[in-house]
Amino acid sequence: MAAPSLLSPEHIAMVDRGVSVIVASRDAVLRPSLMRGVGSAISADGTQVTVYLRRSQSRQLLQDIAAGGGVAVVFSEPPTHRTLQLKAPGATVRPAGPDDRPLLRRYLASMQHELAQVGYGPDYAAAMLSAPLEDVVALQFTPLTAFDQTPGARAGAPLATAAP
Amino acid sequence: MTAPLLSAIRPCLEGAIPAIMATCASDGTPNVAYISQVVYVDEGHVALSFQFFNKTRENILANPYASVLVLDPVSARFYRLHLRYLRTETAGALFESMKARLAGIASHNGMADVFRLKGSDVYAVEHIDAIDGEGLPPAPGRSGLLHRLRQCSERLAACTGLDELLQAALGALQECMGMAHTMVLMLDAPAQRLYTVASRGYATSGVGSEIALGHGVIGMAARENTPVRISHMTHAALYSHAMRSSLEAGTPDGEPPGMEIPYPGLPAPHSQIAVPMVAAGRVLGVLFAESPRDLAFDFEDEDLLVALAAHLGAAIDLLQAAPEGGEAGAPTATLAPAVSGTPVRVRHYAANDSVFINGDYLIKGVAGAIFWKLLRDHAQTGRTDFTNRELRLDPTIRLPDVADNLEARLLLLQRRLQENNPPMRIEKTGRGRFRLCVACPVLLEEQPG
Repeated sequence: MAAPSLLSPEHIAMVDRGVSVIVASRDAVLRPSLMRGVGSAISADGTQVTVYLRRSQSRQLLQDIAAGGGVAVVFSEPPTHRTLQLKAPGATVRPAGPDDRPLLRRYLASMQHELAQVGYGPDYAAAMLSAPLEDVVALQFTPLTAFDQTPGARAGAPLATAAP
Repeated sequence: MTAPLLSAIRPCLEGAIPAIMATCASDGTPNVAYISQVVYVDEGHVALSFQFFNKTRENILANPYASVLVLDPVSARFYRLHLRYLRTETAGALFESMKARLAGIASHNGMADVFRLKGSDVYAVEHIDAIDGEGLPPAPGRSGLLHRLRQCSERLAACTGLDELLQAALGALQECMGMAHTMVLMLDAPAQRLYTVASRGYATSGVGSEIALGHGVIGMAARENTPVRISHMTHAALYSHAMRSSLEAGTPDGEPPGMEIPYPGLPAPHSQIAVPMVAAGRVLGVLFAESPRDLAFDFEDEDLLVALAAHLGAAIDLLQAAPEGGEAGAPTATLAPAVSGTPVRVRHYAANDSVFINGDYLIKGVAGAIFWKLLRDHAQTGRTDFTNRELRLDPTIRLPDVADNLEARLLLLQRRLQENNPPMRIEKTGRGRFRLCVACPVLLEEQPG
């Protein structure tokens, strides 16, 4: 039996489907770093989140996470602006391998569908999310806090805090 | 890769794709959020929209460092801006231009109720990373913009009168830039209003229609002396209906009805741009263009219009200040030819210098006072030839001491007469000289104020 999830089934479904994902961290003097992910995945119970990043695009970010800067990750549906932010004190990073390829492909297809609804074609989405496997790393973390980040006065309101 | 200049990534700052901003709390927790606007201020600064008191806001006040990720809407290449927060502006040119632009973005996104600008946060750009990636070919450069500006500029430089100048400007914008719906409005500074003196691409010219300073994109561009550009249709009442409501609100009690000259604008503009015409540091009026399409005007259109409006402002100023040919001697004593036919009834309301011809509203304000003086002189002495100089010296006309825009007011009168087609008209007879032509008997009725 899994621990009660931080995330609602709707939030898990949104992340699982594949929407825009951005990762941020910070360095020792609290300067922030960030980059867009090229893929994502979530466990069925919402406790394990994976975000794929391109190493060449995210050097400072990966360095900051490795140094203990923590992670903040937003997931957002381009057509609706429905947005979720997850935070965790740390994450593990591993190189992506052939097993990750289907997830990356599925993510790109989903994003092509999302971006088409706001006027960007499949080639644009493919260029934006281009992910040569040898350059991709998988960042895995367990969200500790979650926030509703949909634009508006409530943006930033915590959804819940994970049970210790 | 060498760091790009901020000006080189202006296509990323058009708001086509929302930017993302990372900040960090003083306890070391990072935060990441979408941001509606990242606006180019100058080569070393951007301004970000401050809309909510949220985590980003809290963080930036405690720790001024931020990273912003922007994306080129054509090449799909990313750029990361390393920023340091400096200050928040809540009034003035930058704030108002961002507020107008946000109104367009908000309506486009169905967020009109939630997107309200509290301030413009100004950041120093410390460094820009061009992020590795394959990308797509960049947008083909809009080649020949400088050449098109030259063509527009040459046409303005050849003009010798205000009417010709304004027609040339709007014609050049259509032919060289494809801008099909355009207007020029002049500022009446004492009245705090702008009045349309020329337009192109509308069913009715709208010459003489007015807008209050500070209302809509036009009124705001004039008040704040800044370009204002909206790239999507806005439902924000301030921008979409300001024209009409300012007309309604501008009719003081007791004024005779029927004085509204309909504003000529498009019924559903998706893009609008208003650029102040400035000469010698003074706002003379506004050059305005609009389109039924979204995203019709980009930052390069704005660049071109700003350059052209500066030329236009200087030319207008010069034509106003030109030596007046009529000053040397008395006006030539051409007397009116005898006329016959049904008399035309002209009524003047002294309260606001409004003039009605056979009950139909013609004009008001300074242009109304000028027309009344001409008709009175014509009735009393039979004179037909007049000079700008005598109008400037006439105390009943109440022209401002500086920046009287007399040429523009005469042009307005001339146009209104043409459009309403009464049996009288005004024609220019030389620089600073003009003639009143009356083709029938006129009955003058004064309504004291």
